[in-house]
Amino acid sequence: MLSCADFLAEFGDYIDETASSDLRAHLEEHLRECKTCRVIVDSTRKTIDIVTESGCFTLPAESVDPIVSAVMARIRQRTT
Amino acid sequence: MSQSSTISNDPPGSYPQLIALYGFLPNLFRAQSAIPQAIEAEQQVINIVVVRQGRLSRSQKDAILNAVATVRSCDYCRALFGHSLAALPDRNSGLFDFSLKLAKHGPWVSESDVLILKHSGFDERAILEAIVTTGVGVMLCTLADGLRPRLDTELRSPASSELLNVPDPIDWPKTPGTHLGLPTDSTADSPAYAVLREQFGYVPNLYRLQSAVPELLDAEVRLLESVLFPEDGLNRVQKECVLLAISAANLNTYCATLHSQVLNILGVPLEESDRIVEDHRHSGISGTDRALLDETRKLASLPGRSNQRFETERLRTQGFTERQIVEAVVVSGLANFLNTLQAGIGATADFPPRKVFGPKDLYLFSDRSRPISDATFPEDPDSALVARVREGNIDVFEELVRRHSRRIFGTLAGLVGNIEDAHDATQEVFLKAFENIGRFQGRSKFSTWLTSIAINTGTDFLRQRKPSESLEEMQDDEGFRPRQVQKWADDPERLLAASQMNELVREAVLRLPEKYRIAVLLRDINQLSTEEAAAVLELSIPALKARVLRGRLMLRESLAPHFIRQDKTDA
Repeated sequence: MLSCADFLAEFGDYIDETASSDLRAHLEEHLRECKTCRVIVDSTRKTIDIVTESGCFTLPAESVDPIVSAVMARIRQRTT
Repeated sequence: MSQSSTISNDPPGSYPQLIALYGFLPNLFRAQSAIPQAIEAEQQVINIVVVRQGRLSRSQKDAILNAVATVRSCDYCRALFGHSLAALPDRNSGLFDFSLKLAKHGPWVSESDVLILKHSGFDERAILEAIVTTGVGVMLCTLADGLRPRLDTELRSPASSELLNVPDPIDWPKTPGTHLGLPTDSTADSPAYAVLREQFGYVPNLYRLQSAVPELLDAEVRLLESVLFPEDGLNRVQKECVLLAISAANLNTYCATLHSQVLNILGVPLEESDRIVEDHRHSGISGTDRALLDETRKLASLPGRSNQRFETERLRTQGFTERQIVEAVVVSGLANFLNTLQAGIGATADFPPRKVFGPKDLYLFSDRSRPISDATFPEDPDSALVARVREGNIDVFEELVRRHSRRIFGTLAGLVGNIEDAHDATQEVFLKAFENIGRFQGRSKFSTWLTSIAINTGTDFLRQRKPSESLEEMQDDEGFRPRQVQKWADDPERLLAASQMNELVREAVLRLPEKYRIAVLLRDINQLSTEEAAAVLELSIPALKARVLRGRLMLRESLAPHFIRQDKTDA
């Protein structure tokens, strides 16, 4: 069975659901036995969800037009 | 399909409603002559949905159909539907925008989109008509994509395609729920319900929610009877697998759940369906069926999933007959039709879903695990615009700025941490892109190239900044191991107000060492695929994956104190 260190080195593809069926089987075998790695997988997934759904770096919709206008004005100024 | 092999000399009089509508039998339908009952059923759906007088005018329906063909870049259907968008008076309505979103970003349609239409004066029946008309447009475009009929001599070549502004969707609907409130019990004992009960064991919500329009329900059930239920060509399991795989590719939780259950009734274990949903290439299906799903999945309606063409020849070499190949395309059209209806109506799952799709699943079926020899570079959705800018059409660049400004700003805000700097840097990125667009050789997608410029620009901003202006970074410890191993709360998002959560995430991301921060920004905030992120950073795939994983684990470490479960009943 995989060690925890091996598991932590390999579980990125498992989280991204791109692990091959063989690797997935090895990782799941480890997970069945290791509560700590189960916690790490669960909390890493929650971390990704939190970060993905966070709007902390989102440009407000109303700010798109000013950026578009500013860029196009500068381009037109340079090309005329 | 080979254009000549599928076009028979069927007497056009067999399909009087299609002849009445188009004045002749279009090649799109002739190409399906191997399964005439499918043409008849499509004719009936088109007649009920498009021709018959309803709440919406014919002009409004034509606007919807043309919008669908335009956003799907389907020249055959643009010619078939027969109108230039510019000539359609209803093209600027909320209805038009709604259908564009449904056709291009179906899974993002929410109750609020429907509410906007209601506030504009459309009643629920009119909205249902708009949804089904969009579905018909998507279905016909799918058929044209797969069957590739020759343009009929009776049709004029379509004018050059118009740019339609379909904003990228922002918020994934978090709460699934029905968008329409039409009565659902008016046809409890109808023949259509009897067929559905016989085939599915119950009446799925998707059909129940349309029962207020019995003739529509009848036409849809007739389509199922003609396309899905017969086993003269492909067998029912193969057809249900196509429906399942396309529903998964379209991120349609409802339809994936429904067809997993049907497959289970047909003897396919739910776990096998789960594997098809995740990636059929790693499931236990035969090589022949894998080829069938490989090809039909290319016809999924959600853009960005695949830009490869349906390959008839590959299915022929796998032993599929001409009839089975036509069936594969027609079943794919049915799948996209049903997925579009569900996305618009918002039918809730009849069973607890085994997988609930989210926006990050968009890249689940990308070509990252294909062998190199089978890989082809996907078509760049920006390539036509880029070509026009390179030809000197400056104004077209505005559309590129509009498409990418939110994403580029997000990357820069996460990199430089300061909103004002991010605004300035965003402008710089687009100016640099414009000035250098002549050097862009199309070896990567335009968006990838743009992101590379953003990373370089943001990094330059950081280099010019005084150290005291940055948050203190976490140590880049090569021997990093998770230390926080207590279980987290089940629903951590609910523990903090949105503004607190945003601030917490912002600080945690900004404290990551730069190389991990950039990797996490590209994958989890910008939602680039692994390949795209690796290309932007000029890293190997394994190196990129290692950085993303390290960054995620460091973030998890930062966030853990806020989300660890308090009851401590379980480690």
